[in-house]
Amino acid sequence: MRSVRGKLLLLSAVLIATAGCATSEEWNTWYTHRTHFASYEHLGFSVRNTEGSSPKVTRKDIQLARDEGWWGKAITVSQEQMLER
Amino acid sequence: MSGKRLVAVVALVALTAGVAIAAAPTDRVLPAHEYTTEKARALASAHVHALQELSAGIYHCWPWVDVPRNGIGFYRPRGAQQDDRHLSTRISIEQEPSPAFASLRFEERATAMFSRYIPPLLRRMTKDPNVAADPKLDGFTAIVDWPKPAPRGTGRPVSETIAVFIDKASALEFLSGRGDIKTLPSHARVLGFDGETPLGQITLGPAWDDNFVATFKVANYQLEPGVVCN
Repeated sequence: MRSVRGKLLLLSAVLIATAGCATSEEWNTWYTHRTHFASYEHLGFSVRNTEGSSPKVTRKDIQLARDEGWWGKAITVSQEQMLER
Repeated sequence: MSGKRLVAVVALVALTAGVAIAAAPTDRVLPAHEYTTEKARALASAHVHALQELSAGIYHCWPWVDVPRNGIGFYRPRGAQQDDRHLSTRISIEQEPSPAFASLRFEERATAMFSRYIPPLLRRMTKDPNVAADPKLDGFTAIVDWPKPAPRGTGRPVSETIAVFIDKASALEFLSGRGDIKTLPSHARVLGFDGETPLGQITLGPAWDDNFVATFKVANYQLEPGVVCN
């Protein structure tokens, strides 16, 4: 688990270091590839891999990863600011 | 077919048909008794099954997306002068934004998220034709949250949000193929939020076709038995 965390931290550091202002080339790259997300690595925390079997991710695993609060609960607008019952 | 066998077949069909709903959380849909007007309660009662199917479909088929509690319902846009009722769905995208996405301006990120999620959400929200055909329904609202790009370790994460309000005629015209994805944002009212801070009504650029939702696969994700995504 520690080595996975270490790799993720390293990955994050690289991503942050390479992030900057958008150039038209970067925008074109995003537009062309349309890959919004850098990774989905956090799911690995909830995947139980056993030797000799391929890893499987269920919807419950994803929910557990979310509930564990990998990012922490985000500050966000309340529904009441946009909608009424 | 014997009576016992018929009962068994009916039970099996009922059981398998309900797999998707049974396995998904049911608290994502606002219960009918929690609305403040009779019109909303009538809509909620008439289409409860369709809304649970909508919730279950997002839960199973877009596993990287979360719908908060009471995130789906027949809500009224805040400040509406009359009892306009929209089928509303709120989704949170909880993946880490790429550096290229992070480098865009808010309006550009909002346009990208609009292009990616509003068309497929509208399609999911109208999967049951009876909902859109209900004369009590006035429009559609889609609320999309995503993580505000920020370096890790800079405090509590913040979401950016767009709330997209589209009248029923414009939404159905687009879904029928008569409307153009490029001009869809111009038929919508879009509010932006930075965390809890309202940014007011924002103007999006032209949207584009984005097949991410249809093609993205979470690595090694396994659908629960009986669930079909299309």
